[in-house]
Amino acid sequence: MITERTEEYLEAIYYLYERGEAATTTSVAKELKVAPASATQMLKKLAKQGYLKYVPYRGVTLTPKGEKIGKKVLRKHRVMEKFLSNLGLPKSRVHKDACELEHHIPDDLERVIHQRFEGERLLPPGAPSNVVPLTSLLDGQKGIVSFIGGGRGASQRLTDLGLTPRTEIKVVKSALFRGPLMVSVRGTTLAIGRGIAATVFVRVK
Amino acid sequence: MSTAEKRPITIALAGNANVGKSVIFNYFTGLHQHIGNWPGKTVEKAEGTLHFKGHAVDVIDLPGIYSLSAFSIEERVSREYIAIQKPDIVINIVDASVLERNLFFTIQLLELETPMIMALNQMDVAKGKGITINIPQLQKSLGIPIIPTIATGGTGLDKLLGKAVKIAKGKKANPAKMRYGREIEEKISKVTKLVEKIPIKYPPRWVAIKLLEGDEEIRKIVGRIDQKIVSSAERYARDLERIHGELCSTIITSERYNVANKIARGSQRITPPRGPSLTERLDAVTTHPVMGYPILIGIMFLVLFTVFTVGGYLSGFFEDVMGPIRGAFGGEIGELIGEGVFGGLIAGIAIVLPFILPFYLILTLLEGSGYLPRAAFMTDNLMHRMGIHGKAFIPFILGYGCNVPACLGCRIMETERERTIAAFVVTLVPCAAVTVVVLGLVGAFVGIHWALALYLLNLVIIFILGRVAFKVLPGESMGLIMEMPPYRKPHVRSVLKETWMRVKDFVYIAFPLIIIGSVVLTGLKVGGLLEPIGNTLSPVTVGWLGLPAITGVLLVFGVLRKELTLVMLATLMATTNFATVLTPIQMIVFAIVVMYYIPCIATIAALVRELGWKKAAYITVFEIAFALLIGGIAFRLLTA
Repeated sequence: MITERTEEYLEAIYYLYERGEAATTTSVAKELKVAPASATQMLKKLAKQGYLKYVPYRGVTLTPKGEKIGKKVLRKHRVMEKFLSNLGLPKSRVHKDACELEHHIPDDLERVIHQRFEGERLLPPGAPSNVVPLTSLLDGQKGIVSFIGGGRGASQRLTDLGLTPRTEIKVVKSALFRGPLMVSVRGTTLAIGRGIAATVFVRVK
Repeated sequence: MSTAEKRPITIALAGNANVGKSVIFNYFTGLHQHIGNWPGKTVEKAEGTLHFKGHAVDVIDLPGIYSLSAFSIEERVSREYIAIQKPDIVINIVDASVLERNLFFTIQLLELETPMIMALNQMDVAKGKGITINIPQLQKSLGIPIIPTIATGGTGLDKLLGKAVKIAKGKKANPAKMRYGREIEEKISKVTKLVEKIPIKYPPRWVAIKLLEGDEEIRKIVGRIDQKIVSSAERYARDLERIHGELCSTIITSERYNVANKIARGSQRITPPRGPSLTERLDAVTTHPVMGYPILIGIMFLVLFTVFTVGGYLSGFFEDVMGPIRGAFGGEIGELIGEGVFGGLIAGIAIVLPFILPFYLILTLLEGSGYLPRAAFMTDNLMHRMGIHGKAFIPFILGYGCNVPACLGCRIMETERERTIAAFVVTLVPCAAVTVVVLGLVGAFVGIHWALALYLLNLVIIFILGRVAFKVLPGESMGLIMEMPPYRKPHVRSVLKETWMRVKDFVYIAFPLIIIGSVVLTGLKVGGLLEPIGNTLSPVTVGWLGLPAITGVLLVFGVLRKELTLVMLATLMATTNFATVLTPIQMIVFAIVVMYYIPCIATIAALVRELGWKKAAYITVFEIAFALLIGGIAFRLLTA
């Protein structure tokens, strides 16, 4: 049985990964709002259980086993956020409740809710959810915009430029050193900073 | 009635960025333009006049935007102007080669229910991309007259103007009403009925749509009249969100794009040409992960080199020609006129203008060619570390030459917050004049490694202060979201005209300031106030910074031109061997203070131009305090 705390940690580390930030004791502790000392202790424990590799003063890398859990919990968190905000809950509660629910909701239920908001037919049970941030597409890969999770200003600007749900988008190339992405959408080419691109979720074909 | 008594016809040009709007504006108005700011805003307002068949015509060039939401000042300025000032006609300029995205904006203009015609521009580019457009069909779908144009060649523009004036006079245009999905229309008409009952300057249907979208500004305006309308619109929006599972603003934006897509598909045929386009081939090299960077560095070097060789040459030329005027006046009043008024004027013409002119020319060229967005793309990550994004790269690099054009270049940033941070960071970059002081004093008398260390320290400080400004300043930071327009050959006439207008605009703002500053300083000198000033400042200069009292005067004069600090040091001390008057530590401290202590008067003028008086004053005061702080710390560390 994986504890909630374990899930929280793996989720936070995966989240840092996704944004391209280094996962160190400090950054993980900051992300989870815990004391660095207790983060250190927990990371050591997780390393022993085989979820991650921990090098003192350097940081952590997730093992495939840890990455799988981190990714899954983060996805559940996002689906629950979307679900709750659709119910009309205020933003302050959405995040808090999603943090709670992400540990309890069964995989198949999460998938059903997710697909309800995608407006699509159900995939066979057990199929992996194929919605990923735009940043995880390879150069030349295409996806269909699913939703945009970023701030209001940025997401308005993105939709204004044509990134509306169900639009096809292609990553042309990404700049070196985790720089911005060049994408093509509706016959135009756009450059999107990596931080913003990470809030655009696409369904991979 | 004579034509002189008639009210001029007003035409507003509206469209996305990079569609050739400014080329058309320049064609219409020639040099009869005025570039200023919109009242109370730091958004550029370009206005021009012309005469057409006996009619006086005012042309307003609205900012290049993609939407009419309230998120950027440009968008707010544009929609307020169209809805409230009500130009006689709007010319929507559309890039025929990206029809769908442009129609998205057209649809929003139609929502504003303004008389409108369309210039279907860049027909040549569209043809190159294998796009043919059925104009009668498009005209039918939108209900507005459409004139195909190629602005860079002048094709179709006279016809466009004729048509615009004709419609503006007759006020006869019946744009098609755009209709969205059934359940959305239901809510729109319900809210429209409520809005129709209240007095509001915007079209009711448009207000209804904006309320459903949750537009902050419109909610406030309507809320002041009747809060109930806002809350019922909110309720309807929630209903829609439940049906669609998306934010209401997203639903409506998608809906507009659906309409745009349908119209575009119905009226254009695309047969893509074989092989990659010129842009694709150029992009493969210029944004290549390996080759892209040497190219970027090469281009930046070329820009700096050109600006400073041309600038240096022109500067020397003007100085030689105009310099003698300065001493041509005798007596105290004569000195005030000669040194003060003419000295300031000459400083403006001989020192500032020669660098501004080539800079603007190159900036406009780079803008027109489409390379700027590529440079921003390549450097976004680096610039992020100092709290700004890729677009600020060019102003940043230019800052090493002269802070003035660099500050003016910050206008390419989208949000006011980003513009402020970029301009602030740029004023911290040591310009050529500062380099003269650092190299001439520290480099020559203390050692070149100390000079380099000062530059390294400067970079560190820029990174830190940039990040601090990023954290402290309010407002949303957008990050990088920009269109990468195709590469194109810059249109020479437009580039020259735009350069000229920008230079003129700068002269109007900066020259009075430079001359006033110069007169005041000369007045102090003539009035024998220099020594008292030096003495007054001595607690700071001598007590805190450990410098000789004379440096107070130098620092005051440095506000005019920073290299003056060194020039005057030589004059006042009657020696160029500075080692005899300053200790190495004093030199370092002095150079540090000069580096940061205040943007020179021309830079302050540029800051005023871009950010307004208040922010310019904040930045100036902060930098004075910061320079004194760090100078004092350096003095104590070095003597410890």
